[in-house]
Amino acid sequence: MRHEILDAPHFGMLELTLDAGEKVVAESGAMVAMGPAVAVETKMRGGFLAAAKRKLLGGESIFQNTFTASAAGQKLYLAPPVEGDLVMRELAPGETFFLQSGNYLAHVGEQLVLDTQWGGVRSFFGGIGFFMLKVVGPGTLFYASYGAIHEVAVGAGGYTCDTGHIVGFSSGLEYKVRPFAGFKGLFFSGEGLVCDFEGRGALFVQTRKAPSLAAFLHPFRPVQQRGDN
Amino acid sequence: MHFEIQYRPTHSLAIAHLEPGESVRAEASAMVSMTRNLDITTDGPMGGRGGLLKSFKRAMLGGETFFTNTFRARGTPGHVTLAPTLSGDMLAVELGPGEPLYIQGSSYVAAPDSVDIDTRWQGLKGFFSGESLFFLEATGSGPVLVNAFGAIEQFDLDGEVIVDTGHLVAFGAGIEYEVTKASRGWIASYLSGEGLVLRMSGRGRIYLQSRNPNEYGQAVGSELPPRQG
Repeated sequence: MRHEILDAPHFGMLELTLDAGEKVVAESGAMVAMGPAVAVETKMRGGFLAAAKRKLLGGESIFQNTFTASAAGQKLYLAPPVEGDLVMRELAPGETFFLQSGNYLAHVGEQLVLDTQWGGVRSFFGGIGFFMLKVVGPGTLFYASYGAIHEVAVGAGGYTCDTGHIVGFSSGLEYKVRPFAGFKGLFFSGEGLVCDFEGRGALFVQTRKAPSLAAFLHPFRPVQQRGDN
Repeated sequence: MHFEIQYRPTHSLAIAHLEPGESVRAEASAMVSMTRNLDITTDGPMGGRGGLLKSFKRAMLGGETFFTNTFRARGTPGHVTLAPTLSGDMLAVELGPGEPLYIQGSSYVAAPDSVDIDTRWQGLKGFFSGESLFFLEATGSGPVLVNAFGAIEQFDLDGEVIVDTGHLVAFGAGIEYEVTKASRGWIASYLSGEGLVLRMSGRGRIYLQSRNPNEYGQAVGSELPPRQG
């Protein structure tokens, strides 16, 4: 299988060239175009329970699509929903990478394990947090960002990142979620949750986040008066 | 303290580099990530710089978030990364003594302590346009970080120009302005879609943004399902 990342960093799109029998798994909705000898199979990956857990916890779609080529040289184009970068990461056997679930695009490799983990804090107001995919190799992972991807080498001093700006991070980093600037900060400082990282590893940060755009657009929505239908 | 801006112009990210003891004050929702050696104080109604009235005045009049966070490096050098909500560029404008900069409220991102930020009241006229017509006055010396929706165009005025309020990012001292109608009559001005404009005259630099956040909000937000009134 060959891959090429087109139109990065602003509008990254993945071009895959598949030979007969080769498979790719992708987030539902990611397919842009494909050759005539590519079959799509929609599955609840890992069975119903695992899929339901991913849907409930990660907000990911229950269904993922498996694309299988039945002839040589079949093209498959995949794209993420928002504008930004797209990158590939090869994981060696046993190598772990944590990916924010909304940034997942596709993967190759039947042995690659994807498991949803909740990172967050429980408070008086209920749980708040975010969802990470724990991805364990061997295999190839493709993921995307909203905006650019900024890499930070986390070292001795540790590092802090807004949870909405986290794309992913390598193993070797321990993380802990907390409200920014204490609980007062959660309501007053404008920022929500941050992740404190300890250890050594690479952190990937996206330079825009979808919740901020949604919050910007909210006041422009039409207003439905009470009693209106 | 100095600003380094990466991923220009589309998905810009500003890195505020701090030497030990140095600080930067940032608009509350701008923080993306930071090193762990920063002390953070939230400036809001609980106290802080200027106290309740000053923050309230800034928030209500300046279109700025109610709160600002001050990040101060202790012991070792550190950094905080900052990003705006929408796609677009950022710029660090260097202020000299006696060279104030007037910044559209929503375009202000951050500045060091050597720069003081104050609000200028533009009068009630502004409310008719639905666009914020409030400027923050930055004085002192040092860089001021501003953001734009889209690209930043800057030019040196020597004479007169008419500028749409939603496209103005900032302008230097030496420029006088008056709020005026885009067309002759009030009705024609309303129908032209241009609302209120600024008639600016004098000599100095003007910074414009190539997109208008208010127009974008109306174009996209009006397509969203209604919210409860």
